[in-house]
Amino acid sequence: MRNARILGVGHSLPPRRVTNADLISLMDTTDEWIQQRTGIRERRFSDGLTGAADLGADAAREALDRAGKRAEDIDCIVFATLSPDIDVPASACLLQERLGLGGTPAFDVRNQCSGFIYGLAIADKFVKTGLYEHVLVVGSEIHSTGIDLTTRGREVSVIFGDGAGAVVVGPESDSQRGILSTHLHAEGKFAEKLWLECPGSRLRPRLTEEMISGDDARMFPKMEGRYVFRHAVTRFPEVIREALDANGLVPADIDLLIPHQANLRISQMVALGLELPEDKVFNNIERYGNTTAASIPIALYEAMAAGKVQPGALVCLAAFGAGFTWASALVRW
Amino acid sequence: MGSALLGVGHFLPAEIEVVGVRRPIAVEAVGPSTLAVRAAGGALAQAGIGAEAVQFIVFATMTPDVTFPGAGCFLQQQLGCGTVGALDVRAQCAGFLFGLVVADRFVRAGAYDRVLLAAGEVHSAGLDYSEAGAPVAALYGDGAGVAIIGRGAAGAGLRGAALHTDGRHHREFWCEYPASRQHPVRMTVEDFRRGRHYLQLDVDAVRRFADEALPAVIDEALRDAGIGAQAVDRFIIAHVLPDVADRVGARLGVSADRLSNPSACHGHLTAAALPVALSEDLARGAVGRGATVCLAACGAGFAWGAAVLTL
Repeated sequence: MRNARILGVGHSLPPRRVTNADLISLMDTTDEWIQQRTGIRERRFSDGLTGAADLGADAAREALDRAGKRAEDIDCIVFATLSPDIDVPASACLLQERLGLGGTPAFDVRNQCSGFIYGLAIADKFVKTGLYEHVLVVGSEIHSTGIDLTTRGREVSVIFGDGAGAVVVGPESDSQRGILSTHLHAEGKFAEKLWLECPGSRLRPRLTEEMISGDDARMFPKMEGRYVFRHAVTRFPEVIREALDANGLVPADIDLLIPHQANLRISQMVALGLELPEDKVFNNIERYGNTTAASIPIALYEAMAAGKVQPGALVCLAAFGAGFTWASALVRW
Repeated sequence: MGSALLGVGHFLPAEIEVVGVRRPIAVEAVGPSTLAVRAAGGALAQAGIGAEAVQFIVFATMTPDVTFPGAGCFLQQQLGCGTVGALDVRAQCAGFLFGLVVADRFVRAGAYDRVLLAAGEVHSAGLDYSEAGAPVAALYGDGAGVAIIGRGAAGAGLRGAALHTDGRHHREFWCEYPASRQHPVRMTVEDFRRGRHYLQLDVDAVRRFADEALPAVIDEALRDAGIGAQAVDRFIIAHVLPDVADRVGARLGVSADRLSNPSACHGHLTAAALPVALSEDLARGAVGRGATVCLAACGAGFAWGAAVLTL
């Protein structure tokens, strides 16, 4: 069985910067509180009729360009998001329309912060087993239209930002290079610790006017922050070690860790636990906030642009988030 | 090495009358994950394994329990599958087929030996049962089907498949809201009052497309499997409009006794339609072990596909 590798990476961020100071005009919070708790200084919010597929299409075009491929070379589209453009069908369909790829199979993965790695794992298996030659994996989110930008929702809404990243996955002939492994996990018993309840088909009906306008804000994401934090700092190192063990490697072998940008304090604790020096852990959450499924490909793009991903480098991608779900991918560049 | 279908099960809630038709409707407030738990019982028993032997979950739905996390996480918790991965796939009516190909490739790649592939829908929670919405509401039912995909020998299991999407048609069969692309907020009370959170379909466009796409994709999957239509013991064709499956079957020269048309029996179960029909066909002896079946579906997206399986 051949290996698969990441041929090109792209990203797209809406131009409007929203600083912590900007949020203070909307809710009772402070720059110090946000920075101390999350490391975030600003995030991007989109405008107009911009959906996840719009940002995703821009990121995809850049990834194709970097991969030296054309849109027609793509055999399958995997789109990870928790903020789809519309309710049905999947955002992958809208992205496909924008890329002019009518006929190409396209579907969404809904695995929240772990969505990109789940999608990458699918692309890896598709390419490895020879089903497809080139798979486009996109992570894209428009959080700004779905968060409670009032004091009531501040614990969640200060964290999230809009953005997109994309990779083109294709075959790799060298069995020592490319995507070495993927490990995927979930623990649904904590589903309600970080979730968006409504609309929800377990309710009757799944959506009401009260859900939209009521004081209990059931159409906005909710999080038990400390709970999520505690699990994240356990599961991140665990799934990174699982990837290393599967490949006979140790933390010191990692050249660059790109953690999902959930919270700078989580990334710092993970790095400390694995005894990884600061320069081996890539963070950009201070500029973009948490972009859930988009954060890893955006960070990967920036790490490459900064020259931190050289041929032969061992890159570890890892994520933890709602579900709970968590995942890792080990890549020999 | 290929993958094998180790077991299949289904669950349909009791039928009640809604908008003048009898449909399986989940009256208790449960989501698709809870229906899938019941379907998983039969599938696991047939596969001769317990839930603890499941290594990965794939869940296809367009009506998840909550907006996030996915229905797979809720199913995993209810089945007691530890911390195995739980992937949620959105490919509408073709969701089971997309999920089947994903499960098959994880098995072929050696990542997992046993994948639980669930497809479940609770449409009744989101349909417009008023007079205005009745024509669409009458088309749908609730239900779940589960397949256990494991390692198998070549020549059995999933032998061929073809998947397609054409997003140019996404407005012809859609549920527009909530819509994260709408700024500054993805859904307002006004959007709700205009009923923009209900499924809408352009029946003529949807029918016209499926009439062409389904025979072509079935042919493609048969070619991928390297067999002709005559080697298929049974065709299961799922489409929201029950007349489509009959017409496609006739066009392929499939006699009525070799064709299952699930939406004519239960209303359309979207992602769940194919595994429910396969499970029912096995249970009533319409197909047996060793039989070759062709599953095909086409729906919103548009997304469509076909798969050829030897049981």
